[in-house]
Amino acid sequence: MSVVLSEGLTKRFGKLTAVDDLSFVLGAGTITGFLGPNGAGKTTTLRMLLGLAAPTSGRALIFDRPYAQLAGAARRVGAVLEATDFHPGRSGRDHLRTLSRAVELPDSRVDEVLGLVELTAAARRRVKGYSLGMRQRLGLASALLGDPELLVLDEPANGLDPEGVRWLRDFLRAFASEGRTVLVSSHVLAEVAQTVDQVLIVNKGRLVVETSLEQLTARVGGSVRVRSPQSDRLAEALRREGIETTVGTDHALLAHGATSQRVGEIAFAAGVPVYELVAEGSSLEDVFLELTSGTAS
Amino acid sequence: MIAQTKAELLKLRSTRTTVGLVLGMLVLVVLFSLLAGLLTHTDGLGTPENQRGLFGVGSLAGVFSALAGVLLVTGEYRFGTIRPTFLFTPRRSRVVGAKLAASMLAGLVFGVSGEGLAFAIGYVCLRARGIPLALHGGSLALLLLGTVAGVALFGGIGVGVASIVRNQIGTIVGLLAWGFIVENLLFAFVPSVGRLTPGQAQNALTGLTTEHLLSATAGGAVLVAWVAALALAGVALTARRDVG
Repeated sequence: MSVVLSEGLTKRFGKLTAVDDLSFVLGAGTITGFLGPNGAGKTTTLRMLLGLAAPTSGRALIFDRPYAQLAGAARRVGAVLEATDFHPGRSGRDHLRTLSRAVELPDSRVDEVLGLVELTAAARRRVKGYSLGMRQRLGLASALLGDPELLVLDEPANGLDPEGVRWLRDFLRAFASEGRTVLVSSHVLAEVAQTVDQVLIVNKGRLVVETSLEQLTARVGGSVRVRSPQSDRLAEALRREGIETTVGTDHALLAHGATSQRVGEIAFAAGVPVYELVAEGSSLEDVFLELTSGTAS
Repeated sequence: MIAQTKAELLKLRSTRTTVGLVLGMLVLVVLFSLLAGLLTHTDGLGTPENQRGLFGVGSLAGVFSALAGVLLVTGEYRFGTIRPTFLFTPRRSRVVGAKLAASMLAGLVFGVSGEGLAFAIGYVCLRARGIPLALHGGSLALLLLGTVAGVALFGGIGVGVASIVRNQIGTIVGLLAWGFIVENLLFAFVPSVGRLTPGQAQNALTGLTTEHLLSATAGGAVLVAWVAALALAGVALTARRDVG
């Protein structure tokens, strides 16, 4: 059973095609980054998945049903589409209570999720005094109320400070490690690169790439930075496997066109200790830009 | 539906807006009741018709009840909370239905407090000035109950119109212009049509006997029909339209 299924999903606003024949499937237990520049159709797609907007054609299913027909939807799916969807004069806790009441969840669950997102201290203050980071966390709390199997978040890292981004990353990892599924959109690849297993990249409403992050790095010649006390032996081992290397600024090796997984395996086979192994973020960002501008012309 | 209605009632209670509306309404009731009760000439205040006016001041709570209903809908679109609301309750007809129920329950509170206060002030004014009560039994009960019922139904009108229009300023300006200008012009120049408007139907429901007004029963039926028609249109449009 697929958790999310999009089949030929299309949305037109007059002459503008915001989402164009988009098809993808998400399985359980995955974290998927839904990436693309602003205006690529990400939010429109999520709105159709969640029954807020009707597709012009195609269909979007969650747990094999259109969201609007999914029984107990709020207990299976948690979603945040805008970080600012609060009445400024209502307290964070009351905001959650207006939602929990509609699906008959007790106030104790509200206090539980407030604790989970570390908002207990501010819970009874009105939202108008919240920082953007606090609003993001309150939104996340609302999505978690029903203890869902699927979490859909639109640009959740917007407005978060580096500490907040890290908190979110750890949180999503822990969430998915319980076999639950996450779909998270972003216009900045680096924001989610360390979180997601696979990426869907869209541009101008069309799916450009659907792949694992590792493959994405490999296929467009990204590099892996690897530090080892035996750089020469490692370079030799990599060369035998057909992987080119250069020496980076900090004496680390840069292995080109390989995944960090592959480089790690080769190092292990060669018995070379490795101190550091990183898929280079900057080149990943280049890949992203290349992909999303490629279809623009 | 009951759970959703509880949620909608909490939405009304958990901001200061509703409290502000109730207080504003009560201030106006006190003001108009005192003006009518103290400044009207003693002979004039003796007639049943003028005492209806005095005791019926509470019907102005209908404006506030309608505003509360409007804000319960337009506030969600304005602040974006309509998204989480629909995510939690994807069946949108249930949301609109619950808002109708909640706004009419709130309207009942507006009506009972507003009309209760109006009657109390009016009664004290009459007693203090030694003017005998000219309304009794059935007509007094009709006035009190009709006013409260009318005020409650106006909450539903607010939700219905707001579900159709969605824009907060547009809805409020439109409703006030309709209630204070269009209805009165219609009733003055085309009474056969004007008496079918919600405001004049409410007047009829409270037992006012102004020429051309419907009977109390017909007035109540017309007002209920308005709420039902606006609610159905609101439900149909809300179910069809995309949420941005």
